[in-house]
Amino acid sequence: MREHVRITRNRREFLTDAFCGFGAIAFAAMLQKEAVAAAVNPLAPKPPHMKDPKAKHVIFLFLAGGPSHIDTFDPKPLLNKLHGQKRPKEFGEVKYQFINSESRLMGSKRTFHRCGKSGIEVSDLFPHLGECIDDLAVIRSCQGDMVVHSAAQYQLFTGRIMPGFPSMGSWVLYGLGTESESLPGYVVLPDPDGALEAGQPMYGNGFLPAVYQPTMLRPGKRPILNLDLPQGVSLDERRQTIDLIRNLNEADMDPADEEFSARLNAYDLAFKMQTEAPAVFDLSKESQKTLEMYGVGKEPTDDYGRRCLLARRLVEKGVRFVTVVSGGGPGDLQWDAHSDLEENHTRMAAQTDQPMAALIKDLKQRGLLDSTLILIGGEFGRTPESEGGKGRDHHNYGFTFLMGGGGIKGGIVHGATDEIGLMAVEKPVHFRDLHTTVLHQLGLNQDALSFMHQGRRERLTEIQGQVITDIIA
Amino acid sequence: MGLKPIVLGVCAAALLLADGIAPLPTYTAAERRHWAFQPRKQPVVPVFSSPADRKWVRNPIDAFVLDRLKKEGLHPSPTADRVTLLRRLYYDLTGLPPTPQEIEAFVADKSPDAWTRRVEALLKSPRYGERWAQHWLDVVRFGESEGYEYDTHLPDAWRYRDYVIRAFLNDKPYDRFLTEQLAGDELSPEEEETLIASGFNRLGPIRRNAGNQEVASSRNEVLTEMTNVVGAALLGVTLGCARCHDHKFDPIRQADYYRIQAYFAAVHLKDFPKATEEEMAAWKAKVEPIQAEIKRLQAEMKKLKDQAGTEELRKELQKKVEEMQASMPPPLPVIHTVTAKPEERTAIHILARGDYRKPGDRVGMRPLGILLPDGTPELPESATKPRLELAKWITAPDNPLTARVMVNRIWHYHFGRGIVSTPNDFGRMGSRPSHPELLDWLANEFVSSGWSIKHIHRLILNSNTWMQSSALPADDGLRKLALEKDPENRFLWRANRRRLEAEAIRDSILMFSGRLNLKEGGPSVMVPIEKELVNALYKPSQWVVTPDETEHRRRSIYLMNKRNLRLPFLEVFDQPDSLVSCPRRESSTHPPQALELLNGSLTNTEAEHFAARLEKEAGPDLRRQVDLAFRIVSGRPPNARQLRESVEFLKSRPRREFALAMFNLNAFLYVN
Repeated sequence: MREHVRITRNRREFLTDAFCGFGAIAFAAMLQKEAVAAAVNPLAPKPPHMKDPKAKHVIFLFLAGGPSHIDTFDPKPLLNKLHGQKRPKEFGEVKYQFINSESRLMGSKRTFHRCGKSGIEVSDLFPHLGECIDDLAVIRSCQGDMVVHSAAQYQLFTGRIMPGFPSMGSWVLYGLGTESESLPGYVVLPDPDGALEAGQPMYGNGFLPAVYQPTMLRPGKRPILNLDLPQGVSLDERRQTIDLIRNLNEADMDPADEEFSARLNAYDLAFKMQTEAPAVFDLSKESQKTLEMYGVGKEPTDDYGRRCLLARRLVEKGVRFVTVVSGGGPGDLQWDAHSDLEENHTRMAAQTDQPMAALIKDLKQRGLLDSTLILIGGEFGRTPESEGGKGRDHHNYGFTFLMGGGGIKGGIVHGATDEIGLMAVEKPVHFRDLHTTVLHQLGLNQDALSFMHQGRRERLTEIQGQVITDIIA
Repeated sequence: MGLKPIVLGVCAAALLLADGIAPLPTYTAAERRHWAFQPRKQPVVPVFSSPADRKWVRNPIDAFVLDRLKKEGLHPSPTADRVTLLRRLYYDLTGLPPTPQEIEAFVADKSPDAWTRRVEALLKSPRYGERWAQHWLDVVRFGESEGYEYDTHLPDAWRYRDYVIRAFLNDKPYDRFLTEQLAGDELSPEEEETLIASGFNRLGPIRRNAGNQEVASSRNEVLTEMTNVVGAALLGVTLGCARCHDHKFDPIRQADYYRIQAYFAAVHLKDFPKATEEEMAAWKAKVEPIQAEIKRLQAEMKKLKDQAGTEELRKELQKKVEEMQASMPPPLPVIHTVTAKPEERTAIHILARGDYRKPGDRVGMRPLGILLPDGTPELPESATKPRLELAKWITAPDNPLTARVMVNRIWHYHFGRGIVSTPNDFGRMGSRPSHPELLDWLANEFVSSGWSIKHIHRLILNSNTWMQSSALPADDGLRKLALEKDPENRFLWRANRRRLEAEAIRDSILMFSGRLNLKEGGPSVMVPIEKELVNALYKPSQWVVTPDETEHRRRSIYLMNKRNLRLPFLEVFDQPDSLVSCPRRESSTHPPQALELLNGSLTNTEAEHFAARLEKEAGPDLRRQVDLAFRIVSGRPPNARQLRESVEFLKSRPRREFALAMFNLNAFLYVN
């Protein structure tokens, strides 16, 4: 078993700790050569573990709160027939957060259409995304371990049901660095409606160094914290201050001092970010056609459309990992349809369907879809039973996730739930398998991407995950 | 909501299936041989024949270090200059720099005990307690909110923080310190101090959820937190690895894990009220009408729920509810602690893969088997004060781990690297001690001094080892030799240059501007932060800025440590997240740090005040202003180029920009 085998957290420690420190000699030599760039800029691109990986970037379209699989990508005719009845015993027992065993099954009001050449059924909530179905793998057999938001969100993002562990984005940045010097390598675009249950620790770097922390893009005119100059200071004036800082620091440092060189470099990169990043956020350079495609400038797609468009612009600039969140604040402003599924999902889908599809089409037409892995899904699905007559409760035993681009086979269905959408019965895919597949597409190996923490070689997947080979092109 | 039949069914089934008693594991001689499980030795302090060596050796620390250096063919570096030493001492002990006046006075003080007097004065300073408490709070993952979605604030968590500060300041014997934390409520259930201390057992994040309660899994999570920290923080072993299976590398069986957990089987969280009956009645009288109003509003919302077009109105009502919630009077003072409820004892089983739904054999209380003779029986369930028994075992003078682990932590914070460089892991996957004899000698000193932390400080701070310069040897041959043989400086041929921790950077900047509020102790402060960050909370109404503006400028240890909202300034400089134990901080270097220092509100506000202070204290002369600025932030005057560049800059640019630049100097951010 390969678990826990590597004893040190990085090459530097390996070489210095190994063989009673004799490796230190090799370490000194290594620094001379390949690691110079990394020493000065810890986010400089690093080679992946595998040769020629398909994906270079990831865009995770996170549908927070748990969209219903039954009403979107996993049609269940039998459920409609059993509407109003109690769940037949043969489907098994489950435990939900709110509803109990007295609740009744609730059929879906949605109509499903066969889409694309593949003919995969997609509900009428997502007519635009249906047009992209041949670029997407529909994984209908996802499973997580937790039925409450915070813990399920932690597991989806970090592989653990508790906070304190690095998120996918931080792991990927740690593994690959970033290609963009003027932008952060891992960006989260939260929903302006508010935060999610799991809060900041869900996106965070956990015990990885702060250099791998996410940059949260905030709503409004100042998306990146501290990127704007204080009032009354011009860029040119600030440049002079930065020059003074460089001069004063250089005046008493050894030019061969790596750590101090890295500090000087950090100021240059910071300045570069300050001058170049704002242009990325300026959507006015986009053509009218593009803006329209994403639904920018009209409701209800304007906000989410802007953020999807921004995701494309960030990836174009080399940003490694972008998470776009749909849903935030109180449950009803997420996909958390406890009280009225129709109202909630119709509203949420209307905000997101067109922009998500636009993003996929736009990446495709720009030749970026092959190198950009797209993930679409939430922390769980929703119950076949009704909650309070019109809603559905949380459901982690079987639900749908979509993947596309970045070397993923489109137009296929992977796995299945039972006839009422309760349990994943065919080819179950746990979050850890999703994680393993994401890493694999990026050329990262789940075992090799590790960090020594408290005597344990931590990785994204706590228990070994399996690559979902069926969906790889 | 009560238990659902399914859950009861699962529990009953679990009990029926698993009434086997786990056998006591045995350990091989090879497993018992691991260095950290061996009794401490009584190492002989090396002696030297050459006068130069004898002169260098000021105390046994130096003897052990020099002995090792010689074996490696290395040489110690010369003693650092007095300014460097004083600055290092101040940051080591207090997390704040010496003032220019303090430096001047020390440099001028030629008396032989000048150094010792400084060390003693700082060890008595409240700043010392604040600084070293933070180290402990890192290790025990202290936070002031529960984490997860509610992230409910624990408004009295500061009492534990103050307890730790007091403990360090008063040099509370470490065995007593640990005993109070593990078992304070058993030790003296009427005493505030000990009850506050045993809040230690509930420091981890706690998941709470609405709806159907996951009683068994939540209880399991609480017990896991209580158990793991004993391994990581107190014993320096990765006990948590044995939760799901026998430890892969260390002789810790899964049964050992659950036997430690058994000590906590009856432990439950308790908020011990501090208020009098009258105070409670008065509080209730204030709260009840507010709660009634909230109930009324919520009922109104429920009525509107199914009516179309009422979304706006409902939002408004929701806002009112939140306002009412915010207007609740602060909760009455309590002590967040734990208590034993024997009648609510959780049956402790070995859980397959750590899954509470898969209980195996039952186990009772027993310390780590590898440190016991084979066959040592479990403590009977009827034992009174079981955690006190655990504490006795942990703090027994001959426990091979406890003293070694703590002196290693102290060493780590003084040198930037422990004798064992993995302070939470003394197991096989941890690093081996660079100076095993020294580690044992220090641990012996620690125990024989009555577990005095300050005794260890004194030994270290009066050693030539600690006083070495951090500069590379000037001699080409020596430099090359040292860098080739020991580039990581494991054998301490020089001092390690260290970047200041997040808190030290913030506190120092406030001190430079003359605005640091040194008020000690009490409830934590919520500082104003950008609206966008507050809105990024699931419940933004939780962040209620402390009204008194002077409070916002208190030392960082007094700022509210909210698990789901890290203060950007501290976070960017690697402040740990308080979710898991942090034995050693990262020290990363990246552009957002530069952006924070250049554009952040703290540095820009304080730069204004620092600039004004420079003018006020140095007068209009630019050279004098520059000179003073450098002495304040780095402890020494500028060199010729720095003076020239700075004066030139000040001729055309605002003083506040110069002041801001000073906060960005390596000579400030690093300790030599």
